[in-house]
Amino acid sequence: MDLNPPAGENYAHPWICFFHVVFKAAALAFYMLSAFFVDNFVIIFVVTVLLSALDFWVVKNVSGRILVGLRWWNEINEDGESVWKFECLDQESLARMNKKDSWLFWWTLYLTAVVWIFFGIFSLIRFHADYVLVVGVCLILSIANIVGFTKCRKDAKKQLQAFATQNLTSRLSSTIQSAFTVV
Amino acid sequence: MSHSDTIPLHSTSQSDIDEIENLINSNPSSVLPARPPSPPRASIPISSAPIPPPAFIPSNLPAPTNPKTAPVPSVSSAAPKPPLPPRPSGPGGNISASGFGSPPNTLTEPVWDTVKRDLSRIVSNLKLVVFPNPFREDPGKALRDWDLWGPFFFIVFLGLTLSWSASVKKSEVFAVAFALLAAGAVILTLNVLLLGGHIIFFQSLSLLGYCLFPLDIGALICMLKDNVLVKVVVVAVTLAWSSWAAYPFMSSAVNPRRKALALYPVLLMYVSVGFLIIAID
Repeated sequence: MDLNPPAGENYAHPWICFFHVVFKAAALAFYMLSAFFVDNFVIIFVVTVLLSALDFWVVKNVSGRILVGLRWWNEINEDGESVWKFECLDQESLARMNKKDSWLFWWTLYLTAVVWIFFGIFSLIRFHADYVLVVGVCLILSIANIVGFTKCRKDAKKQLQAFATQNLTSRLSSTIQSAFTVV
Repeated sequence: MSHSDTIPLHSTSQSDIDEIENLINSNPSSVLPARPPSPPRASIPISSAPIPPPAFIPSNLPAPTNPKTAPVPSVSSAAPKPPLPPRPSGPGGNISASGFGSPPNTLTEPVWDTVKRDLSRIVSNLKLVVFPNPFREDPGKALRDWDLWGPFFFIVFLGLTLSWSASVKKSEVFAVAFALLAAGAVILTLNVLLLGGHIIFFQSLSLLGYCLFPLDIGALICMLKDNVLVKVVVVAVTLAWSSWAAYPFMSSAVNPRRKALALYPVLLMYVSVGFLIIAID
C-alpha cells in the first residue's frame, strides 16, 4: 500500500468520502479534546460512542457500497443458523471504481483503529477504566468493519480469479470445439 | 452496460437465463475467425457456466446495520456456513442480479432506502419482542432479523435516565449501568449457550436489549415522579413486562429441564436493574 494517493484523478464521490472521514475524525477529536473542555464523563461517553456508531453505519452501508463496491452482513437462515454474507459488485464495475476513493477508504479504516488502540493503551496506563470502556466500544466498531470488508475483498478477489479462469476455460473449450468442427 | 450506482436495480436487472444465453451466444462468434459468418448457434460450451444458487436472500440488513456487530462468529454458536461467493455476472455487465425471481440485492440501492429499511426493522423488532403475542407460533423464530441499534439506544437511554436521576456520582452511575447491562447481556447469552441451548449470539444480545424497553419506560416515569410507592409499583409492573417479553425466547432455546437455569439469571439481571431504578434518588 502506498502512502500517497494515486495521482491524476479526482475523487469520484467527494461527499461520500467526506462523510466517511468526518464521523471518524469527529469521534477521535471529541475524545481527545473533551478532556480539556468537558467535565462530564457521561457526555463524553455518549457523544463519542454515538459518533462511532454513526460512522460504523455509514461505512458499512454507504461508503463501503459506493466507494469500493463491497458489502457484508449476517443472516439467520431457516435452520436457525447464522450465515455471514459477503457481496460485491460485478467485475467490470469493480474495475471502474475510483482508485483514490478506495485508497482513502482503506487507509482511513485502518488508521482509525490504530489510533483507537493508542488511546486505549494510554487509558489503560492511567487506569481510567471508564475511558477504557469508551475506547473499547469504539474499537469494537472499527474492527468489526475492518474484518467485514477485508473478508469481502478477499472474497471478491477469489471470485475474480474464478471468473477469469472460467472465462478462459469456456473460451478454450469453444476454440477446441470449433477447431474440431473445422477439421 | 455502465450502470451507475444510483440506478435502481429493478429496471436493469436481467434474469439468469438471459445472461447465460448471452454468454453462450457471444462466445462462438468471437472465437471463430476464419469461417464464413454463420448464424450463431446456441451451442452449449463444454464447461457450461455454473448456475450457483441465488446467494442474495434479501436480508434486512444489520446495519449493521446494526451496527455493533462483530463479524467474528461466536465460537459457541452453530458453525456458520462459509460465505457464499457472490454470483459472477454475465458479460451484460449489469450489477449481479439474483435470478429466478428472487429479490434484488442491496448493493445499489439509494442511501435513503437503507435508512428506511433499518428504521423499519428496529420498529418491527420492538413490536415483536415487547408486545408479545401469546398466540405466536414459534417464539424462537422471532427476531430473526436481529439488529443491535435498538439495544444500543435502550441501554444508553437507561443509563442516561439513571444518571439524570442521580444527584451525586452521575458519571459512575452511567458507566456502571452501561457496563452492567452490556456485560450482563453477553454473560446471559453465554449462559444459555453453555447450557446447551440453541441460540445465536447476536440474536440473544438483540433480544435482551429490546426487552429493556419496558424498564426504560419505568425509569423515565420514576425520574419524573419521585414518590417511593409509585416507583415501586411502576418498577414492579415494568419488570414483570420485561420478564414476560424475554421468557418465550429464552425458554424455547434450551432443554425444558434447564429452563429455570436459563431464565433465573435473566430475571436476576432485570430485578437488579429495577432495584437500581428504585434506589436512585
